Amino acid sequence: MQRHLILEDGTVFAGESFGAPATTFGEIVFHTAMTGYQEIITDPVYDNQIIVFATPIVGAAGIHAGAYESMKPTIRGMIVHDLAEVSVNRQRRMNLDRFLKQHNIPGLYHVDTRKLIRHLRETGSQKASIVDFADDHAKDQLVATVLTNKQVANTATVKPYANPGRGRHIVVIDFGLKHGILRMLDDYDANVSVMPYTTTVEEVLTLDPDGIVLSTGPGDPRVLPDSVLTLIRVLQTKAPMLGIGLGHELFALANDAELLPLSSEHHGMNHPIEEIVSRQMMYAMQGQGYAVDPESIDRNKLFVTHRDLVDGAIQGLRHRDYPAFSVQFFPDGAPGPLDATTIFADFFDTVEDYVEHVQS
Amino acid sequence: MSKKEVLDNASLQRALTRITYEIIERNKGGQDLVLVGIKTRGEYLAHRIGNRLAQLEDISIPIMAIDVTNFRDDVTNHDSDNLGLNSEDKMNITDKNIVLIDDVLFTGRTIRAALDALIHVGRPKSISLAVLVDRGHRELPIRADFVGKNIPTAQAEHIKVFVKEIDGKDAVEIIN
Amino acid sequence: MLFIGSGPNDFGRESEHDAAIFQVMPELNQFGLEAYLIDENPYSLSLESLAAQVFWQPLTTKNIKNIIHQEDIDTVIPLFGGDRALRIWTQVVQDWQKGDGPLPQTLGLSIEMMLKTVNVAAMTDYLAEAGLPVITNHVVHARDEANDLLRQVRLPLMIRALHPIVQNTRRIVERVDDFDEIFNQVKTQSLTQEVVFSRAINGLKEVSLQVMRDRRGNKLRVGASEDMDPIGIHTIDSLSISPVLTLQDQVLQKLRKYAFDIADLLQLEGTMHVQFAVDDDSGEIFIIKVSPYIDQMAMRTTLATGYPTILVAINLAIGVPLDEIRLPHYFHTKTAIMEPMMDHVVVKLPVFPFGELAESGVQVNRQLSSIQKSVGTVLGFGRTFIEALEKAIRSAHFNNASFSPTFMQGISDDELIQQLIHPQDNRVLLLIEAIKRGYEVDELAELTHIDEFYFYQLQRLLRLEESVEAAVDNIGALKNAKEHGLSDGLIARFWHTSFEIIRTLAQENQIDVTYKAVEPSAGEFPEHAHQYYATYEEENESTQVATDSILVIGNGAFRMGDSAASGYLMTTVLSELRRLQYHTVIMNNNPHDATLMPHLADKQYLEPLEISDIMKVVEVEQPKAIIVSGNRRKLIQALRDLEQNVLIMPKQKHVPSGPTTEQSEFALNFFFDGHDIYPLNITQHTVGKLRILKQKITAPIGIDPEQCPSPGVYQIIWYINDTKPMVSVNTQPIDHDTWLRPMPFGQVAFLNKAMQVQWIRLTVRAMLNRLTEEDYQLLSELNTKCQTQTQIKMIDAHVDYSLHLQSQNDIDSTRFEMGVSITDE
Repeated sequence: MQRHLILEDGTVFAGESFGAPATTFGEIVFHTAMTGYQEIITDPVYDNQIIVFATPIVGAAGIHAGAYESMKPTIRGMIVHDLAEVSVNRQRRMNLDRFLKQHNIPGLYHVDTRKLIRHLRETGSQKASIVDFADDHAKDQLVATVLTNKQVANTATVKPYANPGRGRHIVVIDFGLKHGILRMLDDYDANVSVMPYTTTVEEVLTLDPDGIVLSTGPGDPRVLPDSVLTLIRVLQTKAPMLGIGLGHELFALANDAELLPLSSEHHGMNHPIEEIVSRQMMYAMQGQGYAVDPESIDRNKLFVTHRDLVDGAIQGLRHRDYPAFSVQFFPDGAPGPLDATTIFADFFDTVEDYVEHVQS
Repeated sequence: MSKKEVLDNASLQRALTRITYEIIERNKGGQDLVLVGIKTRGEYLAHRIGNRLAQLEDISIPIMAIDVTNFRDDVTNHDSDNLGLNSEDKMNITDKNIVLIDDVLFTGRTIRAALDALIHVGRPKSISLAVLVDRGHRELPIRADFVGKNIPTAQAEHIKVFVKEIDGKDAVEIIN
Repeated sequence: MLFIGSGPNDFGRESEHDAAIFQVMPELNQFGLEAYLIDENPYSLSLESLAAQVFWQPLTTKNIKNIIHQEDIDTVIPLFGGDRALRIWTQVVQDWQKGDGPLPQTLGLSIEMMLKTVNVAAMTDYLAEAGLPVITNHVVHARDEANDLLRQVRLPLMIRALHPIVQNTRRIVERVDDFDEIFNQVKTQSLTQEVVFSRAINGLKEVSLQVMRDRRGNKLRVGASEDMDPIGIHTIDSLSISPVLTLQDQVLQKLRKYAFDIADLLQLEGTMHVQFAVDDDSGEIFIIKVSPYIDQMAMRTTLATGYPTILVAINLAIGVPLDEIRLPHYFHTKTAIMEPMMDHVVVKLPVFPFGELAESGVQVNRQLSSIQKSVGTVLGFGRTFIEALEKAIRSAHFNNASFSPTFMQGISDDELIQQLIHPQDNRVLLLIEAIKRGYEVDELAELTHIDEFYFYQLQRLLRLEESVEAAVDNIGALKNAKEHGLSDGLIARFWHTSFEIIRTLAQENQIDVTYKAVEPSAGEFPEHAHQYYATYEEENESTQVATDSILVIGNGAFRMGDSAASGYLMTTVLSELRRLQYHTVIMNNNPHDATLMPHLADKQYLEPLEISDIMKVVEVEQPKAIIVSGNRRKLIQALRDLEQNVLIMPKQKHVPSGPTTEQSEFALNFFFDGHDIYPLNITQHTVGKLRILKQKITAPIGIDPEQCPSPGVYQIIWYINDTKPMVSVNTQPIDHDTWLRPMPFGQVAFLNKAMQVQWIRLTVRAMLNRLTEEDYQLLSELNTKCQTQTQIKMIDAHVDYSLHLQSQNDIDSTRFEMGVSITDE
């Protein structure tokens, strides 16, 4: 069945429907990653977004039990050029089309995605809607729609939970985390407690963490309550801290830096990221609509550790006084290159140093 | 003889990076900081750390090298002119925060010699110690402030640090 | 800095190395370096490069040493000449004596690592020692050892005799139950009763990665491709697809990490191709081959992604780090450090020589195996797998009969099953036929070890073709067909009409081709792309490049015969057009052909070369002229019927057969500038050898210019039943047993170098009426001034036809030439 994608600027694209025949609204972004569609659409960072894939064929690798970044995808739509129907699970029943149907997410294929991406490259991200008919009514509705800014609340856990291990005790503050973070912590056999972002300093310190992770998550971090920044300001003095994605942005905000919305959001795994100290390049999955404003950094508090070699955007920060650091990109490689997984090794080395220091 | 690589190139780089960050953390932006490498490999490591600091902070930190062969307590004839320091270097350490850098921390005797030597020529504000590998078996009350990697070893084992500048590769091996 | 060429063309060696060397030598100037080159291939473009001092000599260690001494060479760069150059250079190094002076440094890869690279066992051990997954051999002496091993390793196993006393002792153990019997049998076939165990990887998925690494250890992935055909079929003979579609991200990232680890281990400064075997079911991965030098994958990835692999590789070899590389203006400033992303699909299809051989009565074994049988390669570009596949098939030019959708109808069910298990060159058509006959996808996947994805896709293709066939003249069906890459010609066949009718029908209904750029950012950044492919979507990105452009039609895939020479010739044509300051547009689909080097054309169309594809490009570019090689007679006629200005590089329709073992073929060669005839020399061709006689031609040749259709080099041929080398022959009068033909391209290439006269460039200038005073001066003084190197003879290179083709008959090494070389003996 033919359905339509309409953009806030009035542009309309026709495509064939797959997934659920639902009408949805969301912010539209394009993604240049060639693999990892399942991880991308289940990553809470894309909550409330409609994702356009540059890769020409999506679905050929099926849907795998080991490739979920959350249990329930909350994207608002998927726009692809060509759709492949392949089942790989034992029952041979689950493919991308059925998966989206199950979660009531619409998709469009047979769209000139290259044209759409070249368009979005010029206009930047905007509101969009997937509808049956691209009539005036649908356009009016799109213009009138106010997208939610409660994405963290929508995706983060409301209750603490544990992912027990026998190693160091890591407390993860959840802003809508992707499973890749837990998988990486598991590689170090960490004993993990995941806390809602509404937790308090006392609650966290009572758990006696050896290290703290500020998780990834969706949306604009500036709409979160100030209590989150206070929490970070205190916790960064108490134990080694690693912020990732939204966690990085919050870490920056807590240390008086400011954010700039990117004119063109960046979602992909093709940009070289430089570790400034060693001048080594690495590639990692990036999914960001904001970047830390370099002008706003208080050099007495933070210094820049990583930057994007394409646009120069800040990709990593470190506190000058505490073993606390953060990265804008996703170092967990789910999906994406494994080049930056050493960030977790760095974190655990820091944790070991800290533990030894405290003990002696 | 058997050998086993305990730090590969990538982990060695990471260890140096972490030491660099920790030096920043404890020295408030590198003011009055001087890096002193203990010859031979400590000197190269000092330059590596110096380069890293320069990349991050856009400042050039003085780097010096000392040769303590003649200052070890197992050598009787001490000769302060034989440290490899020139007079300018000697002046430069007074009132500075020194980070002493060596490849391996073992008995502590080399470090003691370096401390003696430094104090012999000037009066630093503070001296801290960074080592790439701490292998244990201390014979003196010395401990490192910055450690790349703790590698517990048996007395009979040897730790060999390779640096690209003279050994053609960066690695740490245990040799039996 | 000395480049070592790759020598004669052969199975698995097309023009990729020559193209790479030709492209990078001019880059050395900016680093203040001087380029030198040795190669023996008469079809080498690089040997005619003005950017280097060249040595046209056999690739021997002696010659290389001499050049090093004579020219004070201090640096050698063998990686661009591929494995052949690497092997020769390692020999030179191993033969180096103290008295030879200081050994020149080698760029890109250390000697130690080169020695590992050319020795598979050494490389395997090296990788295994570093903890990387390779296939290890276990030698087993006794039964209980074997039982222990059986518990450790995973089935299927390959068992073979360590010292076999019969041919081919390889057996595969699929089930534990078969182990005893097979083990006992192989044991008796081994002289020492010792057998070798290894994991059997036949049937696994083959995946290739291309990566770069710089001196600082920075690495990036340029591209990856997967073979549709499982391991067991040579990767060059496999249909392969880029980007990788059927692997999960997690698996692909693991492969990437292994490839990076290998690059670090080798301390590589350049580009590397790593082949993997991947077991989808168990998740196991094996490294099966490491090629840290330019090879076909490097060239293919360059074309498929738009990432300038070759240019970046020379920078890395010289020591420029990735983030400091300056690329020519037609790339985005960050192109060298951004991992290329693809928003299109590229299908690589091998081209086999079986059809042409069969026509000449040569019987060969058509079954595909781990020994390469294909002789050429085409790429199909599209936005879907089906579109790319359709275009690749059309590019490969199956002859009309085998392309027909009904071709496979005659095959019996038994034969079908046999061929599914033991595939031949017509594999894709066979798979479609199997689907047509109702075989289930999982059944087929099990029989063929091909991923189910491809069967689903072929099913779609079949449904598409059926729907088109059933809906004659239906505009919706036409649109659907065009969007999936079906050519006007194929639709015309379905609808029993002509391609012209289909073309008009599409035009009238606004079903228009849209050209999309091939560029490495997948639309993220504005790139100054100049490579395009056709598809049918909404937005077209290609507009006329200039009003004075000339369109050159490439020759497509290599075939047996003089393909490498044709590529050389068309590249020289492009180069000359550039020199004459025309805007150039090239259409081609062969990734290993030098015509697709980026600096030769203002625009490239990576397309099939049927009349319909060409006319669509013509509509956009409105070229002043179209240059076609003379063997494509139907195409020339069709273009002329459509009132195009066609210029022809004279060539016979078929590559001529060579002389028999008892005779010499003599040729009186002359150049025709469109008006006059200029005699050049006489050549004597015996089996496997072509020499130029010292004899000067003084008398005019009795040829009527009317007999030559267009400017070019021609020859008058006659035979003498004597194979002895002659000093001179009587040319006056030439009797009635002679005939006239355009000089085969291979001989033109040879003559260019032997005479130091650029006959191809002269031909181009003559065609365009751009011959200069100097040209006429040269032509008038040929007999007196031209110093022809008559001591150099062109010879057939040694090609192992029997290994590759398992032919029952002798193969005519002229008609079915694979590669040529030179000798001065």
